[in-house]
Amino acid sequence: MCSVWLICKRELASFFFSPVAYVVLAAWAFLMGIFFSGSFFNYALISMQLARNPQAAAQMNITPTSAVLEPVFASVSVVLLFLTPILTMRLFSEEKKLGTIELLLTYPLRDGHLLAGKFLSVLLLYLMMLALTLIYPVIVGLHATVEWGVVASAYLGVFLLGSAFLSVGVMASSWTSNQIIAATAAFMILLLSFILDFMAASVGADLAAVLRHLSIGLHLRNAIRGVIDTRDVIYLLNINILCLFLAMRSLEYYRWRA
Amino acid sequence: MIRVEGLTKFYGSVPAIEDISFRVERGEILGFLGPNGAGKSTTMRILTGFMPPTSGSAWVADMNVAERPLEVKRSIGYMPESNPLYLDMTVTAYLGYMVSLKGVAGAARRDAVARVVGSCGLESVASRLIGHLSKGYRQRVGLAQSLVSDPPVLILDEPTSGLDPAQIIEIRNLIRSLKGSRTIILSTHILPEVSLVCDRVVVIHQGRVAFEGALDSLATSVKEDDVLRVSAIGSAEALQGRLSAVPGVRQVRRTGASNGEVHFEVRAERGREVRPALAAAVPAASGQLTELRRERLTLEDLFVRIVSGERKHEGEAAHV
Repeated sequence: MCSVWLICKRELASFFFSPVAYVVLAAWAFLMGIFFSGSFFNYALISMQLARNPQAAAQMNITPTSAVLEPVFASVSVVLLFLTPILTMRLFSEEKKLGTIELLLTYPLRDGHLLAGKFLSVLLLYLMMLALTLIYPVIVGLHATVEWGVVASAYLGVFLLGSAFLSVGVMASSWTSNQIIAATAAFMILLLSFILDFMAASVGADLAAVLRHLSIGLHLRNAIRGVIDTRDVIYLLNINILCLFLAMRSLEYYRWRA
Repeated sequence: MIRVEGLTKFYGSVPAIEDISFRVERGEILGFLGPNGAGKSTTMRILTGFMPPTSGSAWVADMNVAERPLEVKRSIGYMPESNPLYLDMTVTAYLGYMVSLKGVAGAARRDAVARVVGSCGLESVASRLIGHLSKGYRQRVGLAQSLVSDPPVLILDEPTSGLDPAQIIEIRNLIRSLKGSRTIILSTHILPEVSLVCDRVVVIHQGRVAFEGALDSLATSVKEDDVLRVSAIGSAEALQGRLSAVPGVRQVRRTGASNGEVHFEVRAERGREVRPALAAAVPAASGQLTELRRERLTLEDLFVRIVSGERKHEGEAAHV
């Protein structure tokens, strides 16, 4: 367990040594800021109009949480689609390119510990990214009542979704010594899982249900409305397990043929 | 200390090594020789537990590599051929990280790093980024990495490759200073290194052990005539006649002449002392001896002969 933490610490140090962490954090803060301010001012406009029309306001069931924060959380999946491959691409690819993976694999480490340390490092970085967004519910809270239960549920969903995205990236990184290919592969897999949703529109009902279930982005919908559906949780955890398992196999394969 | 039995490794259907067996005793430095692509690195990678063999077994520190990989890995210091390093870390941070991955923590960790920084001559660059270091220093950092956990077994894959002569001598001295306290396998294709550092050698060629034994026996394992060089002033014909008549001499060949001096190459029975008789033969032919020396087979010659399958060399090609 100690070695997991050692590896994680080194990865984090490396992220902050190179500009990767700063670039990703800045891009994240900037994009999420745009989404938040957009929906915040939009809501301000709507609520001013509704203030003049109390009857319509009573009929429209909107709250600050659903109107301001829900769209922000919903946009997370699109931003992550672009940012997570950048975070994960170097984890194994760089070690393979430098050859340091050979050294690590001759150290008294289990493959699982190596993998866990690397995955944990991007997960912590992702938590840092999420922590930056806590300011949005706080800002809303200053002006209106926030349903913190819904916010907590949304964060759980967003965390699980991000963790699934990152595990896809870790897997792709374990395949190749080329960071660009690792990032592209992760991006393609994630993009494909988004498109499944669109593809579902043009196929039969049975197949459409399967495709919708496989579509990774749709599993966020319930959580950001405050509903934690075990199906979503299990689906996202399964993605994690599957991808990390495949990454382990890939490391093992690397030993055999390197 | 290290035992390898019947090690075979296939990459797909291509054999990299076939049926390699040898042993290394405690405290010994074994030279691991062979041309590029002979299977040196493959054997070392199997010993370090980096990859499993197709068949055969290896024991390091009396533990089977396949059965107790973690213990074996803890007792090995390994420096791969490419000397991979994290370029974005400082020397001390890197060494500290690597030693803590071997389970050394706290004050012991600081001491271990300080010890190898001292013994590998890294004091002046200890706080610099590895990416900013010269090749020679990087090589030393690589060696320090293999030493930092104070392992009883060291496996060094071409530790002096790509260094300038002064750096090679430094690294060599460093390795020699470890003699006795550690069991070392050193792969190289720089042959003088072997004669200076190693007790015993294993030569592998095309994935098989071509020779195993002490360096001296490597020389005697080549069954060929001794070659001597004789130069003298006098009549070439008379000299050649007298020299050929010396017992034990198989062949005398004139190799050149300059300023009245004639040069001969004399081939004599292996191991037989013919120099006094040759020296006496020159005045007998009314000549004056100017030079008489025995050609030593260099390690390079031996190496080439072993890897070329000890083919019978004939005529002109034999001593080139």
